[in-house]
Amino acid sequence: MSLDLAIRVTEIALAMAFLQQSIEHMQVPGDERHLFLLRIILSIFLLFGFQAQWVCLALGILGVFILKRFQGPYNGGSDRMGMLILCCLALIHFMPALRWQEYIFGYLAMQCALSYFIAGWVKIVNPEWRNGHALQDVFRFSAYPVSESLRTWADWPRLLCLMSWVVMLFELLFPLALFSHITLITGLVIAAGFHFANACLLGLNRFLWIWLAAYPSILWLQERIFVHG
Amino acid sequence: MLETVKLLLPVIIPSWRFFDTIAPSPRIEFALLKTVQDIPDRWQEFCPRPAHLPISSMLKRLFWNPHWNEALFLVSCAERLMENGADYSVKEIVKRIKTGVEKRGVNSMVTPYLQFRLVFVSREGEQLQKYITFTSPVYQYAGGIVS
Repeated sequence: MSLDLAIRVTEIALAMAFLQQSIEHMQVPGDERHLFLLRIILSIFLLFGFQAQWVCLALGILGVFILKRFQGPYNGGSDRMGMLILCCLALIHFMPALRWQEYIFGYLAMQCALSYFIAGWVKIVNPEWRNGHALQDVFRFSAYPVSESLRTWADWPRLLCLMSWVVMLFELLFPLALFSHITLITGLVIAAGFHFANACLLGLNRFLWIWLAAYPSILWLQERIFVHG
Repeated sequence: MLETVKLLLPVIIPSWRFFDTIAPSPRIEFALLKTVQDIPDRWQEFCPRPAHLPISSMLKRLFWNPHWNEALFLVSCAERLMENGADYSVKEIVKRIKTGVEKRGVNSMVTPYLQFRLVFVSREGEQLQKYITFTSPVYQYAGGIVS
């Protein structure tokens, strides 16, 4: 995948993720609605590649206002990933040299891989995750399970312990998927399935779409390092 | 400027420490009151999760999930309130409870006041424990703090 194509696909995926998020804010009255209405308009421009350079910059500035409006991210990690992608795209458009564009897009790819590795690392060093109690707690009393019936999953400790280890090992081993195109595609399909499960069970729908938007960068980086050298 | 940098820095250099520990989890409960002096005797959970959610609804929520995302935002407001006593968090929680109550068509002439509290749930040994960590002043629907 060429750099230009990967950037364009990232812009389209990011625009669609932003549209999905922003439409959810349209039912709230007041300043919140105005901020996200503006983001909808800018995201449509980005979707069609209209003045992408300036639209990315405007979306980045708007993103700062949104961060200030909520005194931080509205939706935790998904907002952070969205802003990270946006900042990288905006910087790439203003970089005069191809090499610097590659560094920035590579940084985004590296952060995407690190997002899995670090999440796996902080879990595996915690004995509560290794014995499955942490995932039991997620279902038993955390704010995330989308229905009360899902809380009964906490009554299956062996299954949850197995699930914990599957998640931790997948997250830790994800960077190794970069060594070949086939393993990377496999890794990304599993990762997307992981986000899909989190969206269904824990209601983290925004994570699914925004992480998908970062995948073109990692596909490009793998080809750039291991195919073109 | 410093505030903007503090907000942007975790975006440019994220930590990605998802679910590293399962901390005590907040629930927001509110009570509607007839008078300012009323003592709440019936606390209701704000944004309670449904007893069961069919797969079709889970799939629909992939694309349209505003109430759940708002509930998660309020969870972070509750956590921030306990960490640094942010006035902003109180305002957001009250504003969204008011909107939720109004959407339910509650007669504000009968119960014109509301109060909320934060209940944190955690596991101690094998038992779940609940602690009330914060109780708000009384608010009037159309106005600010009353008491």
